[in-house]
Amino acid sequence: MKNKLFSITLIVVVSSLLASCGGAATPGAATPVAPTATPRPTATPAPPAPPATPAPPEQVTLTYLVSQGWLFDAEQELGQRFEEQTGIHIDYQVVPADQYFTLLRTKLNAGEGPDIFGGQSGKTDLKVQYDVERNAVDLSDEPWVELEDPLVLEQSTLDGKVYGLTIWDVFGTTWVVNYNKDIFARLNLSEPRTYAEFREVCQTIKDAGITPIYEPIADGWHHVLWFPELGPRYEQVTPGLADELNANTATFAENPTMLLALQQLKEMYDSGFFGPNALSDTFADATRQIAEGNAAMVVANLTFAQAVKNDYPDFNADSIGVFVMPLADNQVLNINPAGPTKFIYKGSEHIPQAVQYFNFLTQPENLQYFTDNTPNVQSLPFTGVVGKLLPSQQAFLDAHTERGTVYQTAVNYVNPQWMDIGKDLTAMFTGAMTPEDVLASIDSRRAELATAAQDPAW
Amino acid sequence: MKLQSKYPFSFVLGALVLYLVFFIIPGISGIAYSFTDWSSYRTEVNFVGLDNFKTIFSSGERYLDYISNTLIFVLITIVLKTVFALALALLLNDAVKHLTHFYRVMIYLPVVLPMLAVALIFRSILNPATGLLNVLLRGVGLDFLALKWLVDPKIALFSVIGVDTWKGVGYIMVILLAGLQTIPKEYYEAAAVDGAGALAKFRHITWPLLTPALIVVTVLNVLYGLRVFDIVYVLTNGGPGYATEVVSTAIFKAFGQGRYGLGTAISSILFVVMSGTGYFVIRLMERESVSE
Repeated sequence: MKNKLFSITLIVVVSSLLASCGGAATPGAATPVAPTATPRPTATPAPPAPPATPAPPEQVTLTYLVSQGWLFDAEQELGQRFEEQTGIHIDYQVVPADQYFTLLRTKLNAGEGPDIFGGQSGKTDLKVQYDVERNAVDLSDEPWVELEDPLVLEQSTLDGKVYGLTIWDVFGTTWVVNYNKDIFARLNLSEPRTYAEFREVCQTIKDAGITPIYEPIADGWHHVLWFPELGPRYEQVTPGLADELNANTATFAENPTMLLALQQLKEMYDSGFFGPNALSDTFADATRQIAEGNAAMVVANLTFAQAVKNDYPDFNADSIGVFVMPLADNQVLNINPAGPTKFIYKGSEHIPQAVQYFNFLTQPENLQYFTDNTPNVQSLPFTGVVGKLLPSQQAFLDAHTERGTVYQTAVNYVNPQWMDIGKDLTAMFTGAMTPEDVLASIDSRRAELATAAQDPAW
Repeated sequence: MKLQSKYPFSFVLGALVLYLVFFIIPGISGIAYSFTDWSSYRTEVNFVGLDNFKTIFSSGERYLDYISNTLIFVLITIVLKTVFALALALLLNDAVKHLTHFYRVMIYLPVVLPMLAVALIFRSILNPATGLLNVLLRGVGLDFLALKWLVDPKIALFSVIGVDTWKGVGYIMVILLAGLQTIPKEYYEAAAVDGAGALAKFRHITWPLLTPALIVVTVLNVLYGLRVFDIVYVLTNGGPGYATEVVSTAIFKAFGQGRYGLGTAISSILFVVMSGTGYFVIRLMERESVSE
């Protein structure tokens, strides 16, 4: 009996030791940021030195918690200039992306938020992820509010109050199909406007021995773009669908356009249009695949051509054209007005100084400096900022006057499950799930997230 | 006598207190939290009974698949690691006469490599298009063996098992080798005199006397396999789709989604399973052991 008791105790002790250490549950990976581009910060020239001024009296340090990929060199340079002018030091605390949201939520829930924190705008995220009414300062009366694009401003507004400042290239980061004009010209192809035309274009390119679409499924997030970025099309076919989904009076599984889009996506995979190694391809290789002509098309930001040019200086950026994703015969331009946004913590002891920093950043000359010195930012959603779009890209935007908001922003509880949707789609491609299963799975996770957030609609 | 019994106790008291504070209390708290709706979305925590456990075991969720993958991982790695390690230990103990220390080092070397580094390297090696393995296979005309190792859902889990076996077999070999070296050589000599062959010696001498070491490696393999995380996370992140998701990646995902109550519920189940399995394996194998 004693031996038995000893054995049990030993097993429990060893198990608890082993279960506690090593690779087990470690709060970690957060849901990913929305599929706006994560531009690569590059070295930029320092701003011109300001005229010498006497050091101002206040010596305040503002802590700014931000996810990796959201902070650029140009902003840090502006921060240095701000310190020289005001004496207020900005302490940028950059956290790896996969840990950021968990760390931020823990700090906010513990009442220990930083003075300024970064977060993805979008109505769901404002409420569910950051509880801005409790954690963020109302910035509605600040001067830059009048200058910001209304579509973008709306995504950081809750119940009529503006809580966040979005300095992000939301238009340049629009996800569209970038294509190699030379390949298209050689094969006598034109930009497809329907799914049938798109399929034909892909088949022609495949028959010519070129991968029609470089689709990097291995990253887990990229192939998801084909689905919620078509939000404007779903809304066009079923007006008011986003509101119904948010009110829980409609579901993804019941929507025929969504089902059609997934079926077409599956067909594209089964037809081999994504190439033989799509399941192991990564987005980091996209510029090379396009520059070397290995693939004819890739879903990327509107300003992808500049990224290719950046990696391959001899590449002609004008040889890349763009068109909207034509699944479900879509021709509506998909805009994601949400993006990485700055909030001021309501519990901060330095709210006036943080507001001062926001006002400094949004001075016209500073916004222009930011645009000019951040390679992956081509424009900012503020009046008076001169952008760097190519003429063809500007023409594309001007031609697509019919626009809509993507569903990861317009519909609640989609963005937080982005990577899970990615897994479902991979399972769909490999035959483990059907398109119907994927839609049901999305609805199921929405219900779980809504229940956890105590959404009254569920 | 009283002083003699209190004296050692006073020395371990400090360690016991630390163990209590940093392991036992958090462990019990974790089990308690598994009955709540603790999440990152709100500050209050409410008791919800068995809701989290119902979620885990409901047919609409994938947790049963994760448990199934974990058990497959455990069973296959136990068999592969034990068989390979035993074979290597027998060779190094008896058959190989020269450079035995060198071979031991080489076989043990993967054990000391960081798991992250190993997984990243194998992710590159096993890339179906450009990976070293498939390039070599195609180079020698074995194209049919150039499989989609980590991206074919039918074989991805077995690829992960293969990498883990390669990394862990040295550790098991060392333990079994130590066990082999405790078996007196006189037994083998006596058996040889009686005309016993190699197989008979293994069956009647080596295997029974090696049972204590086999118990140890089996328990270690089981407990490791049940909580496997890093190699799966880095090699496949549970993919393609959900083909290689295991219990620990599910816990990781639940915490990442802010669903702490659910995450602790899965952890509690893992804890109970590990405790029960370890006890069961030890009792089972103790019956098979032979005492001198």
